[in-house]
Amino acid sequence: MRSRLVAAAFAAPLLVLAACGDAGGDSSDGGGAAADEITVWAHQGQEAEVEALQQAIDEFNALGEGTVSLQFVPEADYTSTVTTTSPEDLPDVLEFDGPMMASLAYAGKLAPLGDVVSAETVENQTDSVLAQNTNPADGELYGVSQFDASLGVYGNRALLDAAGVEYPTGLDDAWTAEEFEAALETLAAQDEDGKVLDIKENYGAEWPTYGFLPVAWSAGERIVVDGAADGHLNSPAVVDAVERFAGWRQFTDPNTDDAAFVDGRVALSWVGHWVYNTYAEALGEDLVVLPLPDFGSGPKSGQGSWAWGVSPESDNAELAGRFLDFLTGDEAVAAMTDANAAPPATTTVTESSTLYGPDGPLAIFAESLARTCGDAAPTADCVAAPRPITPAYPVISQQFSEAFFGAYEGGDAQELLDQAARTIDLDFQDNDGYGQG
Amino acid sequence: MSTTTQTTRQARPLAPPQKRRSGLHRDDRAAWAMFLPAAAGLLLFVVVPFVMAGWLSLHNVRLDAPTPPSWMGLEQYRRILLDPDFRGEFYRGLLNNVLFAAVVVPVQTALALALALLLNRPLRGMPVFRTFFFMPVVFPMALVAVVWKVIYARGELGMLNAAIDTLSFGHLGPYDWLGDPGTALPAVIIMSIWQGAGLQMVIILAGLQGIPADLYEAASLDRAGRWLQFRHVTLPGLRNTLIFVVMVTTILAFRLFDQVYIMTQGGPQQATTTVMYQAVTTAFDANNVGRASAITVLFFLIVLAITLVQRRVLREDREVS
Amino acid sequence: MSRLRTTLTYLALTALAIVFVAPVAYLVIGSLKPSGEVIDGLAGFVPENASLQNYSGMLGRFDSPATGYFRDFYLTSLLVTSVVVAGGLLVNSMAAYALARLRWRGRDAALLTVVALTILPFEAIAVPLFYLLNDHRNTYYIQYLPFVASAFSIYLFYSFFVGLPRELEEAARIDGAGTWRTFFRIIVPMSKPVFATVTILSFLTTWGSFLWPVMMVDQPQRRPLPLAIAVFQGQPPYDWGQIFAFGVLMVLPVLVVFLVFQRWFVQSLASSGLKG
Repeated sequence: MRSRLVAAAFAAPLLVLAACGDAGGDSSDGGGAAADEITVWAHQGQEAEVEALQQAIDEFNALGEGTVSLQFVPEADYTSTVTTTSPEDLPDVLEFDGPMMASLAYAGKLAPLGDVVSAETVENQTDSVLAQNTNPADGELYGVSQFDASLGVYGNRALLDAAGVEYPTGLDDAWTAEEFEAALETLAAQDEDGKVLDIKENYGAEWPTYGFLPVAWSAGERIVVDGAADGHLNSPAVVDAVERFAGWRQFTDPNTDDAAFVDGRVALSWVGHWVYNTYAEALGEDLVVLPLPDFGSGPKSGQGSWAWGVSPESDNAELAGRFLDFLTGDEAVAAMTDANAAPPATTTVTESSTLYGPDGPLAIFAESLARTCGDAAPTADCVAAPRPITPAYPVISQQFSEAFFGAYEGGDAQELLDQAARTIDLDFQDNDGYGQG
Repeated sequence: MSTTTQTTRQARPLAPPQKRRSGLHRDDRAAWAMFLPAAAGLLLFVVVPFVMAGWLSLHNVRLDAPTPPSWMGLEQYRRILLDPDFRGEFYRGLLNNVLFAAVVVPVQTALALALALLLNRPLRGMPVFRTFFFMPVVFPMALVAVVWKVIYARGELGMLNAAIDTLSFGHLGPYDWLGDPGTALPAVIIMSIWQGAGLQMVIILAGLQGIPADLYEAASLDRAGRWLQFRHVTLPGLRNTLIFVVMVTTILAFRLFDQVYIMTQGGPQQATTTVMYQAVTTAFDANNVGRASAITVLFFLIVLAITLVQRRVLREDREVS
Repeated sequence: MSRLRTTLTYLALTALAIVFVAPVAYLVIGSLKPSGEVIDGLAGFVPENASLQNYSGMLGRFDSPATGYFRDFYLTSLLVTSVVVAGGLLVNSMAAYALARLRWRGRDAALLTVVALTILPFEAIAVPLFYLLNDHRNTYYIQYLPFVASAFSIYLFYSFFVGLPRELEEAARIDGAGTWRTFFRIIVPMSKPVFATVTILSFLTTWGSFLWPVMMVDQPQRRPLPLAIAVFQGQPPYDWGQIFAFGVLMVLPVLVVFLVFQRWFVQSLASSGLKG
């Protein structure tokens, strides 16, 4: 009996503790920060990026213009965290994954930055980043970035030469899909297990969409037009391209140890900029960086990475704007892109970058990004294309990756793409076109 | 379980009538006061959301939409159950749940029974063994999933693969337990049984110890061998216990979530997706609260149906003995 | 029992015990080995190069508000579990007593409702609860409040109370004891087995609670242990030695408590009426 009262007595102070604990915890949410203080959320990715960001924030705080208090959320949970947090609880400044911009703007979680950041900042942003961060619904800019992303095929020169395979020297003589296939066959003939290509099958999450939407774009299609996917995502050109790609599965190493390329098991690796440092270290002089194959409308590439935005509920948009100006200034951008080897999102830093400058090893990426298709339909000349900028993006991404890999693993490409298109269109319908008609 | 509706009234010659009436009145207030906290909790956190699930499932609801939820009638249900674009995943999840339950319930129960029978002997060291079997029960399923994820590591260095390799003298090659659609669900089943058998064992052990010893004596006097004793004394004596264990385990099997979330994320190729996993990812990742609610409503109906069927079929023996 | 049967019994038990304990041993040994040697075939069981570096390394990884602190994970789990268990014991036993022993208007309907609710698993209401309570994410109270009242616990208490002999209560009534005194001074002391059972089950369920924290907690400061280890093992670098160290710290105290008190637990499970 007494023990029950003791138990109840235990519960009481714990409840009190909990209540106090919660009050303490609340101070880290956004909204009611002091006049010269803003709260910031960032994704916790690679250690080098984390350090670079913390460094930048420390420097900004030291300037005395205001205080930035930073909170990290693990990368894997970041987007769903932002999605499920209501606008009042969001911080003044939040990072977001580029393609989520339209979705967040639709939910009232991002404010247009036109009046918030300085004109110089906007001007200095590269075209590709501006394309990704501009909302077609109202033409406003909702984000600024420190870095961008790119995509290509890395090659092992030694293996390519040994097999006698010719490879492109730049964007303008990219392999056609047929030439690429022929190259694969030639390489496979010389290879021990016939697996000569790595497409990072071991990656998950957003990779299938990011890595392989260029296949559809290269077939000449913008997969979703005016809120309709049917007729675009599943057009004959895209189906053909997806089927052809699926045919390359026989040449692809599953890469379960993520070392197929660095170990020399495969000659080609279809992946983005972030592995450059690892690959360069492993292959040294033998590393070549090549464009993706051309499926009919010119080689295409990916773009778009993390961006920074301001919450419409922020009390201190002015300080937030100055912080963003600082973050996209040369020093901070250079430090960050040194840390993660990503293409800089500002023209000034790109020009002076050792990796991405005119003579740098990744100049091809910089060129792809400079030749961005923007939000328009892909032409034969443009290269980098942003992923669809619409609040329906999460659904589009999930459906595309399921359909693409379903076909890759042996499914019927037409059927899968048809189903994906229907599902995407249904989502638009359910949500009344997301207010865009 | 019969509810007592009358208190046995022993003679209380000294209790005046008013006291009895005010005794009832005192009962009422005290009773409500005792019942209220739990009732409030159940109402707020169980009944209300349950009703909400129904309402939400009839609308299109996004967590942060600027527009209010829009009416969809039974469309969510139609899609999950009938539309070829969506029903595939749902039925696969349901199938996986059924498969999981169909294997785990009999196998885990049989294992727990076997363990309990082995432990129910007056031998030395039984408590030590009981400890070993009970250990996994204390592990949170999330931790179990993490450990077994490593045990199931593909390639010949994975613990399970190495063990099988040794035991089969190198004949049985390394398996990709969690990456192969054919072995993923069995892998989840095995680790779930590992975690759950101990608790069932303890319950069955208690049940075994509740069977009067003289029943066994009588049976052996009738020259019944051990197998007959098992069938005619042990099993009937365990009937209620086993029924309880089976029913609880079945419902638990349909709630399968933690392991899938951590180890396989529903894959590979939907080999391990479950109804609950889909409900959560639909709500949380796809931000489609309406459809997720529809899934949970269906889930509840399924669980209800199973419970009712089980109660019917396995009617507990509440005989007067 | 014949010699042969005894031997066979011990053999069977030993073989099964090995299968049951092996993963636990692997966890503990792995936590003491350098991470590269954890996934190493059967050598994973061999404690070569044993050290505590994984423990210090793991704790060192949780060194900022961004990653959360290990002690916070523990505190959260302890706090949430304590409140759910203690609060639940109080609230559910009282409700069950009211249903089992008291006469009041609406009792039969209430009982029916409670029994009906025992069929309702938490998962059936997780999604709408998530939607309704979304503004209360990342708090302690959202992790314990929804679980204090439990239809299943009430039912367990109810089944037990109904079986108690009435004489003591009658005697207390005659002595003038009110309902509350009767409950706390007579019924509760007589009900140790069911209280113990409910404590154990409630503790195990809440300590391992995963689904709800996944949905409602995304900030590291409020993460309970199961969620924390799930996040930890999903983030590169995948340092299995450290992850195992995390697991050991997570389960060891609980394991020790259970092992020390297991005889008592088994007894109370037996006499609580769970078995039917």
